[in-house]
Amino acid sequence: MKHYEVEILDAKTREKLCFLDKVEPQATIAEIKNLFTKTHPQWYPARQSLRLEPKGRSLKDEDVLQSLPVGTTATFYFRDLGAQISWVTVFLTEYAGPLLIYLLFYFRVPFLYGPRYDFTASRHAVVHLACACHSFHYIKRLLETLFVHRFSHGTMPLRNIFKNCTYYWGFAAWMAYYINHPLYTPPAYGDEQVKLALAVFLFCQLGNFSIHVALRNLRPAGSKTRKIPYPTRNPFTWLFLLVSCPNYTYEVGSWIGFTIMTQCLPVALFSLVGFVQMAIWAQGKHRSYLREFRDYPPLRSPIVPFLL
Amino acid sequence: MSRVFLTWAVTHSVKEVQTEDSVLLFVVAWTITEIIRYSFYTFSLLNHLPYLIKWARYTLFIILYPMGVSGELLTIYAALPFVRQSGLYSISLPNKYNFSFDYYTFLILVMISYIPLFPQLYFHMLRQRRKVLSHTEEHKKSE
Repeated sequence: MKHYEVEILDAKTREKLCFLDKVEPQATIAEIKNLFTKTHPQWYPARQSLRLEPKGRSLKDEDVLQSLPVGTTATFYFRDLGAQISWVTVFLTEYAGPLLIYLLFYFRVPFLYGPRYDFTASRHAVVHLACACHSFHYIKRLLETLFVHRFSHGTMPLRNIFKNCTYYWGFAAWMAYYINHPLYTPPAYGDEQVKLALAVFLFCQLGNFSIHVALRNLRPAGSKTRKIPYPTRNPFTWLFLLVSCPNYTYEVGSWIGFTIMTQCLPVALFSLVGFVQMAIWAQGKHRSYLREFRDYPPLRSPIVPFLL
Repeated sequence: MSRVFLTWAVTHSVKEVQTEDSVLLFVVAWTITEIIRYSFYTFSLLNHLPYLIKWARYTLFIILYPMGVSGELLTIYAALPFVRQSGLYSISLPNKYNFSFDYYTFLILVMISYIPLFPQLYFHMLRQRRKVLSHTEEHKKSE
């Protein structure tokens, strides 16, 4: 069996960082990253990007050495991705925040509103309902993070946790402040409006959950395979006929429901910002699908049926 | 960005501050700065940059920047009581959108934001000055 030699150069300075000899042909990029960490322990595998060209695409961990277009002396270029943090950690932190913060405002903990309101309760039923819905939403997200999602990537850059938490925690505090305020004004169309909004919210939460389960079932445990998602027996998944990312569609729908339920402008703004971000992600995902699969269903649009 | 804000959201909106000396202070600072800055860009694009313009751009800011910032901050400060009194650009609870905005507090936050922002910009320009003007020195010496 012929062994390979691997040299790793810095992508920016072209400095030779590491030379590995007697590397097995079936070695994966993941294994090579582990060998590289031995000589440079500060660069753990999650923060290594190895590519064939200095400005090329990152090679995947599963890629096998002998299947790459390299000679028996393979040259890889290394770029440091910076400190990394696991997706699970980020998700758990960014979702636990809103859950707790909203409750602080709901229970009117001291220093949030005037002292005479401390630990008082709102007299509006919709305020209690809104707390239940908001809490349910984030508990669902936490449980999905722990038990449902199968992440493609293990880690993301560390600075994302600060950015993401500021976004989620900030908006949660802003919304919760108004909904639980002693001077909160309930919806203009009363119970009818709240009932309709609750129906929309629950429908979309179920929808979103159904999509998450369907996506999970597309991918065996521990793998990173990608397949075209299709509608299943569950009617909520039939949105796949029209849209590439129905999970985002349902998510926006949930927040629209919550906006109508609370009739609160900050909630509307949060929904809008969320929609813009998810639309961008959906477009990216849609384009990836189109690039990867020749037979991708042409009727589908990224996030809004027929429109976007 | 701060130009647009100071012009429209403060000086134009709060008529009572228009007679303040601080307005004259920042208008003079901005005017001189811009005349030099745009001359610098124009001459650079024509590939004929007189040293005087380059020197002026990277030296006069040392005085003009603090001048401009002082004028801006004093103007915002002068506007505060009038904003408080008139409730300008503010909305309070209760209302059917369950939203509130206090322009007075917003202005105070804007003033506070100068504390981290001003030193960053100022020291960046000082570093640029060292880089740009010493580079020209070397060129002159080598001639």
